[in-house]
Amino acid sequence: MSTQTKKSHPLVNTTEPNLLEDTFNYDLPPLIHFSDDPVIEVIDGKPVEFDFNSVKQRDIVVTDTTFRDGQQARPPYEIDQMVKIYDMLSRLGGPNGVIRQTEFFLYTKNDRETLDRCRELGHKYPECTGWIRAVKGDFRLVKEAGLKETGMLTSSSDYHIFQKLKFKSRKECMDSYCEVVDAAFEAGVRPRCHLEDLTRADVDGFILPFVDRLMEMSEQVPDDMKVKIRLCDTMGFGLHYPNAELPRSIPKLIYKLNKECGVPSDRLEWHGHNDFHRVHANASTAWLYGCNAVNGTLFGYGERCGNPPVEGAIMEYIALKGHMCGIDTTVITELAEYMKSIGFPIAENYPFVGRYFNTTRAGIHAGGLRSDERIYNIMDTTKLLNRPPRVSITDKSGADGIALWVNEFFGLEGDDRISKIKIHKLARWVMDQYEVDKRLTAISDEELEKKTEELMPEIWEKYKGSVAAGA
Amino acid sequence: MASVQDRVKSVTARILEVDESAIKDDDNFSADLGAESIQSIELVASFEEEFGIEMDEEQALSVDTVEKAVAFIAQVCQEQGVEV
Repeated sequence: MSTQTKKSHPLVNTTEPNLLEDTFNYDLPPLIHFSDDPVIEVIDGKPVEFDFNSVKQRDIVVTDTTFRDGQQARPPYEIDQMVKIYDMLSRLGGPNGVIRQTEFFLYTKNDRETLDRCRELGHKYPECTGWIRAVKGDFRLVKEAGLKETGMLTSSSDYHIFQKLKFKSRKECMDSYCEVVDAAFEAGVRPRCHLEDLTRADVDGFILPFVDRLMEMSEQVPDDMKVKIRLCDTMGFGLHYPNAELPRSIPKLIYKLNKECGVPSDRLEWHGHNDFHRVHANASTAWLYGCNAVNGTLFGYGERCGNPPVEGAIMEYIALKGHMCGIDTTVITELAEYMKSIGFPIAENYPFVGRYFNTTRAGIHAGGLRSDERIYNIMDTTKLLNRPPRVSITDKSGADGIALWVNEFFGLEGDDRISKIKIHKLARWVMDQYEVDKRLTAISDEELEKKTEELMPEIWEKYKGSVAAGA
Repeated sequence: MASVQDRVKSVTARILEVDESAIKDDDNFSADLGAESIQSIELVASFEEEFGIEMDEEQALSVDTVEKAVAFIAQVCQEQGVEV
């Protein structure tokens, strides 16, 4: 072990700010840079090197399960709703297919009609795939739907093998799964085996032998039919820390499947759950250690605590790649508005789309925003999400905050922006709300708009026609 | 017409609710006369209204004493052609 060496750290004096714009360039989400030093994970007693920078060249993608896992956590969507969401997913992921696939249930008439209507839109991406139980009879549904690929449940922990599925032995279970994989090959459908509850499974005793067998079986079929593997962290037990032990270690799981079993990265997919608040970090970790696909749902909505949020993965993707890759991030805002309109709750502090995600309340912060919005805004949210930074008015807002509110509310730019001297009557009214009337709640846009009209009629008359979108 | 100094003291007394005769030339608006953040802005706005001028926000808010305010306002009036 190296010993800590005490160092002195002289001030680098400067009169010009260093804004670290290589990382925080503001036009994009903050970029993720890695040093060229090797990343080491000790596996089976031996150091193994990983190259995180390879993520820039690898065809990493997002896959979506909003209509499958996402729908397991809510009442069913209407067909029209799913078609609209699918259409927006396609625009979000862009023509390069950053959102590469999305999966559909196939069991009901509505499921099949939804699939047909989505495909009628003619989008190349996301490709529609199916989701079935590991039951041979279910392939009839996949074939009838004309799908090239389907996910199938191949539950992998003994909790599932013995306690849920009641197999008498692991061998009986594995044979049963492999029969279904054979049935998929015979049906001309590419199987994607979902290793359910992987992070609570016996890796050496079941997972690796099963995946070895799947790889052997795949040798008999063309490349576009070979089995894909979805690593399902069903209960959110996965850990991204170095030196975590199997079966919870994401780096070790991916290494074992990728290198020891020989499953190429483009056939490995991570599917997480958020039961321990690890969902996005775990998904990103899977990308870095060799899974090319990260599976998620819009706004993380899924079984129990949910899945990796697709929009989070999209931002991470841009940050890792360093460019937009055809992604249209403004669709994230459209999707959130649409989801809210159909009764899908989004917390006010939810990243990227919550009502207050880029709203500052403290006056001292608002003062910063007023002089340079980068000080308290994470990125150019106006350009990337059609969401200019906002201030919420309370007793802590100060005149700076109120001036910022007026300027943002009316969408004023450049010389049109109003100084805090001109809004002093509104600022006084706000202060009196708290100091005189002992108010305890934030002041809404509607109240401030009304008071602007009353106390600053000349400003109201001049700018009332230019109230900013989203205000 | 009252002098700039008298008019500044009159506005200051009204906004800060202090006795005009007790205001001294070297009084600091916040330390001596108790101006809070929002009252500083109200003062600047009221000076603009009283003299019919427009002041630069940053420069005006950096003025901290009565006598500096008198000098600053007199200068702005001159620049903007306002007779005082």
